[in-house]
Parts: sequence; structure tokens; C-alpha cells
Amino acid sequence: MSPSRSDVMKIRGVFIEDTFAEAFTMRVARIIITARSARWVRAAALKLTGFATSVIGCKVEAGIERELPAKETPDGRPGVSVLMMTMGKDDLGKRLIERIGQTVLTCPTTACYDGLPEAPDRVGVGSALRFFGDGFQISKVIAGQRFWRIPVMEGEFLVQEKFGMLKGVGGGNFLILARSADAALEAAEAAADSMSARPGVILPFPGGVVRSGSKVGARRIKSMIASTNDAFCPTLRAVTASALPEGVNSVLEIVINGVDTNTIASAMKTGIDAACRDGVVAISAGNYGGKLGPHHFYLRKIMSGASG
Amino acid sequence: MSILAKLKGPLSQRVDLSEVLAGSWATLSARELSGRRVYLERDGGARLGDLFELAGSPEGRIRFVGQLDQADRLGAVLTEGEVIVEGNVGREAGLAQAGGRLDINGDAGPRAGAAPPGFKRGMTGGELIVRGSAGAEAGGGMRRGLLVILRAAGDRTGLGMIAGTIVVFGAVGADAGLWSKRGSIVAFGQVSPPPTYFYACTFQPTYLRLLLTRLRSSYGLPVQPRHLNGQYRRYSGDMAELGKGEILAWTSK
Repeated sequence: MSPSRSDVMKIRGVFIEDTFAEAFTMRVARIIITARSARWVRAAALKLTGFATSVIGCKVEAGIERELPAKETPDGRPGVSVLMMTMGKDDLGKRLIERIGQTVLTCPTTACYDGLPEAPDRVGVGSALRFFGDGFQISKVIAGQRFWRIPVMEGEFLVQEKFGMLKGVGGGNFLILARSADAALEAAEAAADSMSARPGVILPFPGGVVRSGSKVGARRIKSMIASTNDAFCPTLRAVTASALPEGVNSVLEIVINGVDTNTIASAMKTGIDAACRDGVVAISAGNYGGKLGPHHFYLRKIMSGASG
Repeated sequence: MSILAKLKGPLSQRVDLSEVLAGSWATLSARELSGRRVYLERDGGARLGDLFELAGSPEGRIRFVGQLDQADRLGAVLTEGEVIVEGNVGREAGLAQAGGRLDINGDAGPRAGAAPPGFKRGMTGGELIVRGSAGAEAGGGMRRGLLVILRAAGDRTGLGMIAGTIVVFGAVGADAGLWSKRGSIVAFGQVSPPPTYFYACTFQPTYLRLLLTRLRSSYGLPVQPRHLNGQYRRYSGDMAELGKGEILAWTSK
């Protein structure tokens, strides 16, 4: 718990801890999926971003960035943009090929485009998936970009040959410390809703919310790379070095990944502001002492309007 | 600003402009371009400046104005920049074009974007837009790139195509895509595929939506919802060759 809790920063009565969220540099790709209708866009996007909450167990973190109206997509159909993030370049290429190949290629009426055309760093995706066409695939160059038409039973799957990659930031976060589980959930829902559909940001966890924040390593099993964040578990208050103020009975975490630090800081400000409501005691953040991640998002700086 | 090339007077004989925009030209001044060689059918070699008045500053764009029906091979072997022609052009416009944009606001004579005589490869890149009709053998031997014809296309369009895309908004003449290996001929108007093409299915090619959406936004072409949302009959051919080419014929059914 921060010793400076007495240096009061409160938003609608909710105490803002004098601490920071510690985040990491990741590689990010933006995938644009289009389909004949919003139904099939969603179907593909949900599968593409499924089981992609944390690189710890999923190898990739992904989420729907926003829905795109037909006038904003390359082929004039309804679409969605998805951000996919990994820790390394090579990993990102593999995950894109696996996931687009298994979830978008397979979904009726979809097409898949690069959403970072200006990124100089590029990874082959369509160039690998084309082999599914077994020699019947057709290459087309449109406006200097190569696309692959892969024949499928429904018709054709269109996929861009290469996708751009940028350095992004993963692990921006804040913790909602509430008097009850209901209050924590209500505040977390409000925060997640306020941050959804912001360009450049995804919330990779279910509904944007994490109930099982983790610490690095484990007390018992040394080979584990992460285990429960006992300092923030209300049920362990009496048996561990708790970081929870009195009156806190439930904690939920919001994890934010984005294309850059400013985007994440801006989203955090919006989310924290939305989370400051009745039943919430304090807002805190997860960090590792500042030794692991190069990006530090100081809650008070963010909420006072300065850059995190 | 761009360079304006205005024809000084009506052409009394055919002129070959194949060397005017070949190689690097986009950074050349009006004066430098004036010195490029042209060949008159009867009088032989001359300079571009003898026929055209050139003005403006180089910005990778040149606009030709005048009655150019007798001007042949304009934009031949084009590799860069944007070339706009206000009116009709003669034969073999964009011959073996390799890059850049050639936008003809009128009709093009025979063999636009085709391969030079004696060569197999026609266009190998770039975009050639003919806002009127095109003569026979447009896109002949095309290897890569895009050729769009807003009105009718002559006989043997895409003759011996190796790859690339030809889009024809109007009717397409006989024997389109004959002897093609790969490549796509998209026809919104009447088209009769050669007997060596075989019907495959009627479907909506997504890539066509992508292409047409871009043509509408980049060139202001009259792409209609029926083109974007329509069904296309796919014919595969030429089966006398590799058979990996296609004719996509728009259908109202």
C-alpha cells in the first residue's frame, strides 16, 4: 500500500493510489475483417480473438478494436478491426497465420486485410495461407499491394499477402478496489464500456475485465511464471501481506493493450474516471517494482491530465 | 502544378512517341522533356518540342492536350508518374507499360497496353485507364498491371495474357482472352468467351469489390452498386493454354 495515501487524490470520493501500472513493449498487428453482413464479421472476429487474453498461456493477446462501417473498409462491406499482440516479431507472424487460417479463412463470406499499411515492418500472412489453395490460388496486385484469392467451397477467400507490424504496448492496467463484488463488477463494466471502441486500444480479457490478476512467479512452485496476486486477494487479507485498504472485499483489474503509450494513458484516464463510483474505495495498479516493463503509467499523473 | 504538353498544330502524319516517357522522366523539366525524340512517319526524327508546347514544372505528372489520334505509343514502357491525355490517342498507347498511371480521357487505338511486336510480354505493371473505347488486342500479352476500358473493347482483348487484370465496362469484342495463361478479364457488358473457355460457376468475387471500390475512389470511375453487389459468371481458360485465366462476366441473373 502506498505510504502517500494521505496525499489525497480523490475522484468522486474514490481514492487514487500513488502508484503506477507497469507495461511491456509488444509487437502489434491490426487485422481488418470484412464480410457480407455484420453477423459474419462478428463470428470471425470472436473466433479470431478467442483464447487470446494473455501471452502467458495463449501465446498472443488479441481483441476487437472497433467495428467498422462499410464506408471505412477496403471492400465496402461491414467490418471490424482487431489488434493482435505478441512479445516478438516471429511469434506475431506465426500467430497471425494460425489464427487467420483457422478462424477467418474458415468463416463464410469473409476477407482479411492489413490494417497497418504504413508500417515498414511486414510479415507474410497471405503468402503462407495461399498454399491452402493447392496451386489453384490466384494472386492480384491492387494499388501496389498483393492479395491472394484462395478458392474455397463457398467461393473465394481474399487475404492480403503481408501485414504491417508496429511496436505496441501491453499490460497497461488499473485495479478497482471495491466494498463488494457487485460494486467492483459494476465499476469494471462501466470502465470497460467507456474504453471500448477507442482506436488503438484493446481490452484482451473477457468483457475487458480480469478477476485473477497475477504476480510474477510463485511461492510454492518455482517453475511457475505467474501465480495469484495474493496481495490483492481479499480472502487472503489475514494470511498474506495484503495491499488492500480496510473495507475492500473485491478487486477487479482492467488490462489495456494499445498501439502506443499515449493511447493507453488516454484510455486509462477514461476508464478510471468511469470506475470512480459508489462502492469503490480506491483505484490502484499492478506493477513489478518498475524493473520488468519499460512503460510506467502513473495513475495520478494520468488523472491530473499529464502524460502517464 | 504539372507539365502541360499542348499540341502546337494538327498532326498531318503519324508520330511515334515511344521514347518520350520511357525510362525516368518524372523529374525532368519541360525544357528537358521538349528535347526527347519522336519519330514522324514521313519526316523521320524530331523532338517533342517541335510538335508540342511544354510548360509547367515537373511533379511526376504530365498532361497532353490536343488531337492525338495519330500519336502512337504514348506512354510506352512507362515506369513512373502520372500521364493524362485529354482526348483520343493512336495505336499502342501504354505499350509494355511497366509502372505509373496512364489515364486517357478518350479512345485508344489498337493494342493499348500490349506487347511490342515480336515480344511476348505486354504491360508488366502500372495502371492504364481508357475512358473511351479501345481498339483490338488491348492488353495483349499482359503480364501484370491493370487495364480499364470504360466503353467498348475491340476484338482479341487480352490476347495471350500471362497475368494481370482487364476491366471493361462496355461490350467486349470477339475472342477475348484467347491463348491466355492466367489473368482476369472482367466484363460488365456483352462478352462471348472463346470456345476454349469453360463455364465454372456464378459467384461474387470479393477481390472485385476491393478493386472496384478503389477504382471509384482513385479515378472516379462510374462503378455502380450492381457492379459491386452483382453476380459474375466465371469462365476458365484458355484451355488451349495453361487454363488458369478467367473471364468474369457480370450477370443480372
